[in-house]
Amino acid sequence: MNPAPFEKYKTEDFFDEMFGNSSGEPLLHYQKIFDRISRLTPVEIAEKRSHADSSFLEHGITFTVYGDEEGTEKIFPFDLIPRIIPRAEWEIVEQGLTQRILALNLFLNDIYHDGKILSDGVIPKEIVYSSPNYRREMVGIDVPKDIYVHVCGSDLIRDETGAYYVLEDNARCPSGVSYLLENRQIMKRTFPQTFQGMSVRSVELYPEILLSTLEYLSPRRSQKPVCVVLTPGIYNSAYFEHTFLARQMGIEIVEGRDLIAIDGYVYMRTTHGLVQVDVIYRRLDDDFLDPLFFNKDSTLGVAGLMDAYLKGNVALANGIGTGVADDKVTYAYVPEMIRYYLGQDPILPNVPTYLCWRESDRDHVLENLENLVVKPANESGGYGLLVGTDSTKKEREEYKERIKSNPRDFIAQPIVSLSRHPTIFEDSIEGRHVDLRPFILYGKDIDIVPGGLTRVALRKDSLVVNSSQGGGSKDTWVLEN
Amino acid sequence: MRLYVFHQTKYRYPSPVKDSFNELRLYPISNEWQKCESCFIHVLPSTQLQQYLDLNGNIVNHFEIPQDHSKLIIESRSTVTTHSRVDFNALPYGKKMSTLKKMQGQSEARPYLQSSSFVEINPESWRLAVDVQADSQDIFQTAYMIMEFIFQNFEYSNSITSVETHGNQALKLRKGVCQDFAHAALVLCRCLSIPARYVSGYVFDRTRDQSMRGAEASHAWIEVLVNGFGWFGLDPTNNQVVDENYIVLGTGMDYKDVAPVTGTYFGKPPKSMEVNVTVKRMDSSDR
Amino acid sequence: MLSRVADNLYWMNRYVERAESLARVVEVNQDNLLELDDNIELDRFWLSSIHAFHAHEYIDHEKESSAECFFLFSDSWPSSIRNCIFSARENARMVRDQLSEEIWVELNSIYHFFRSKDAEVSFDQTPQQFFQKVIRFSLVFQGLSDATVNHDEGWLFMSLGKYLERADQTSRALDALTLKEKKPSRKDLIAALRICSALSAFRRQYRGELSLRNVAEFLLFSQDFPRSMRFAIRRIDSNLHELSGVPSGNFSNEAERLAGSALAAVNFTNIDAVLARGLHLSLDELQLSLMDVGQKIFETYVMSPLELQNVNDDQSMQAQQ
Repeated sequence: MNPAPFEKYKTEDFFDEMFGNSSGEPLLHYQKIFDRISRLTPVEIAEKRSHADSSFLEHGITFTVYGDEEGTEKIFPFDLIPRIIPRAEWEIVEQGLTQRILALNLFLNDIYHDGKILSDGVIPKEIVYSSPNYRREMVGIDVPKDIYVHVCGSDLIRDETGAYYVLEDNARCPSGVSYLLENRQIMKRTFPQTFQGMSVRSVELYPEILLSTLEYLSPRRSQKPVCVVLTPGIYNSAYFEHTFLARQMGIEIVEGRDLIAIDGYVYMRTTHGLVQVDVIYRRLDDDFLDPLFFNKDSTLGVAGLMDAYLKGNVALANGIGTGVADDKVTYAYVPEMIRYYLGQDPILPNVPTYLCWRESDRDHVLENLENLVVKPANESGGYGLLVGTDSTKKEREEYKERIKSNPRDFIAQPIVSLSRHPTIFEDSIEGRHVDLRPFILYGKDIDIVPGGLTRVALRKDSLVVNSSQGGGSKDTWVLEN
Repeated sequence: MRLYVFHQTKYRYPSPVKDSFNELRLYPISNEWQKCESCFIHVLPSTQLQQYLDLNGNIVNHFEIPQDHSKLIIESRSTVTTHSRVDFNALPYGKKMSTLKKMQGQSEARPYLQSSSFVEINPESWRLAVDVQADSQDIFQTAYMIMEFIFQNFEYSNSITSVETHGNQALKLRKGVCQDFAHAALVLCRCLSIPARYVSGYVFDRTRDQSMRGAEASHAWIEVLVNGFGWFGLDPTNNQVVDENYIVLGTGMDYKDVAPVTGTYFGKPPKSMEVNVTVKRMDSSDR
Repeated sequence: MLSRVADNLYWMNRYVERAESLARVVEVNQDNLLELDDNIELDRFWLSSIHAFHAHEYIDHEKESSAECFFLFSDSWPSSIRNCIFSARENARMVRDQLSEEIWVELNSIYHFFRSKDAEVSFDQTPQQFFQKVIRFSLVFQGLSDATVNHDEGWLFMSLGKYLERADQTSRALDALTLKEKKPSRKDLIAALRICSALSAFRRQYRGELSLRNVAEFLLFSQDFPRSMRFAIRRIDSNLHELSGVPSGNFSNEAERLAGSALAAVNFTNIDAVLARGLHLSLDELQLSLMDVGQKIFETYVMSPLELQNVNDDQSMQAQQ
């Protein structure tokens, strides 16, 4: 007889999503999945895997890797064992995220208007004003419904005790929600029976809610708003997601050249002439939106778009200048924002963060580089970070120079030993580090899709889960009871 | 001193273009050292100009030409009175480099301490800046040393760089025109956390042998902020502190913020551009 | 629908159709070559094809190993089969959400075939199979377009692309006969028919009476043969009217007007009149009027005329000195 799949499984010193801190017995909410997988033979597992893989291929669920010749399309690897979050735990996460997106939006509204939080000395002015993503153009501008961040993806991790922490917020163009939705589809096709009796909360409503979030922003009340998804084009790493969302919402996916701004309004060029656009779900960074305002060389944007936006004739989701909220230096102050604007204690804590900008912190960072993760303040996708324990002396020396020359651009955090999750490999099941990116929509209400995208670092011992750095993903279940 | 400036920019297109959107920063600002008495801007094909102030307080004229046109002429004629901006016997020495830290929160300083389109703070230029600073602990003295360093080590040449040359690249090449000199100076100042901004304008050449650089075109230099004293102009192209021979059009983080003419249009790319600048003194016969 | 999407669908189909036609041209010519033995004749043979495709300015005799390879794999000539396949896929990639999965898979697999060395190897070792692969791809693609895509606005643009290209290719095949220095031989006539895969249809109608007059009449005026000029122009005309909803015989834009007039031109003339004016001249006029139709479709539905040749450009900036 074949050995049972979990026979050799070790949780080591990490918090394991399935087994907690002990070995052997799965946590209660994982019991059914554990039983189900334990009954599978290696052959069956292999069959399920290849079935899932081919589903991804057939559906063309791919992303593009940068720095690769002509932008190769790759599949985002998918692991069959779902990550499960019990209801009570999820409710806390949900409350914590709601608190966070409210505070971030109040913060943005504040700094682009009166700047009270700055004059009250809660957050140092220079932090905000020195952020490259702070947009002076937005000062004094009122945005529709005072909402800046309509779509937010916050990355959560768990430490060795299983406690949740927020690692970062993505308040510009968070991506990954299409994988979340596709993962669920493929999971249902691969393991139809396992969903029975589990009361897994559905995620399918996301596109619908996203669309109503967008429509809520429309400056024209009189008629059905015209919403579009603005993509940088087929070479963007998330192009698949852009088309996916447009299709699911039943709206057009446009590139900059499909739009034209005339007299302060934005139109799209169709075979039946120009059609006025009300809301743009833009998946393009601020810098590229309007060559007249921002990056002059950008051919991706629309000349005159900013003019229309500032006049209030077209709404953008997310708004302009939200990048200052996901700056990793600003991140360190989110708990302060929550206390300041909401008068509450933060439900989800931050990972302790050293700001190289502060002299005392900087000295600590420079002396303890080998035990820290250092991140550029304004990069996403896991680009440019230094994991102290994995670095060579030479890399650390180079990094020190970079920190010294521009301390504002770097933060450091202690290396959190992320929780692990059983993950299927060729002939074994092994623990791999995971994080969780829930997606928060803020329109008329705040909606958080149950669960989120669980990303898994497929390389052994790696803590980097980004798709561009060899990560994979899992379906994420939030249980109804 | 009363100065008159004529600045003409001519574009020729090989075939008609249309939908031209443009912004001009050709209107001299008025402040305590200079007063713009008059400024007439004239565009052909004729069109209506709109005026607004940008975020840096510069005067911007905006216009659109929707119809077909195969040439575009932009002319400005300004009369400006300038006053001596610095007392050479009382230059703002005495502010310590260590006080710079306090300035980071000042809204006046904040945009001019960071990387911008033409200026990048990176380890390489930071090391160079630290070398140039040597053991100077004084803000103005350090800025002055940066200006001198650039003047002495850079070769003035208008065939090496282009309007798009990045400040850090200019710093490597050690060659270029006033725009590159100014950008390079900004890189070094900002690496040392000295607030420094780019100035676009004109210079009147009062020398007997017409040896000033940049008098035949629009000129550029930098200004550094010394706390308690305000902004001081330094011209690394001519190695001098800016005085009443200079006219300021506008200031910004770098060239991108103050380019005299920017815009887009629909049409074929190859084109020619011709620029003429004349600066004359009006209140004296010494020229 | 978005103008750009319409444009991408149109060009995707044009390029697929073009690749197929080209595959037939090279295949048929290559067959005929087997019977030739002297090089001068061989060169002359290819020259007429190259001229019919207006490709002479792209050919670099130093670089190309052979005329066939130029037609099939040239990087410099935008209409080489390889470039056609690449362009078709590029257009498809931008509108993937409008296509069926099956179409994408077909296009993607032929793209990978041409991207790898497989295409050259296959042509070298088993040319017959190589040509069949390209032609079959195009036929499968067309079948899938008809069977797996909604016949909506987008489909009409796909169809327009296909028939405009087809009419153009048929006229080129006929024109190649007039460009020969000598009166076209029996072999030349058969080649023209085979390029349009019209040999058996022609034989059925004309019972083997092979003459320039008959071949031209068939390829220009056949009511039913799907690669004749008349058939293609009729489809273009009806597609355009379906697109605008204006009844046939009327017009609401320049594209409709020109297509209607091209249709009238082939409907209300005959082979004798054409030969009297000169076949080459008549074909030339027809080609030009179809190019105009393509142009006007673009102007009407995609972009305004000026934007056609132009790009959005930045005003030059003056360096400060």
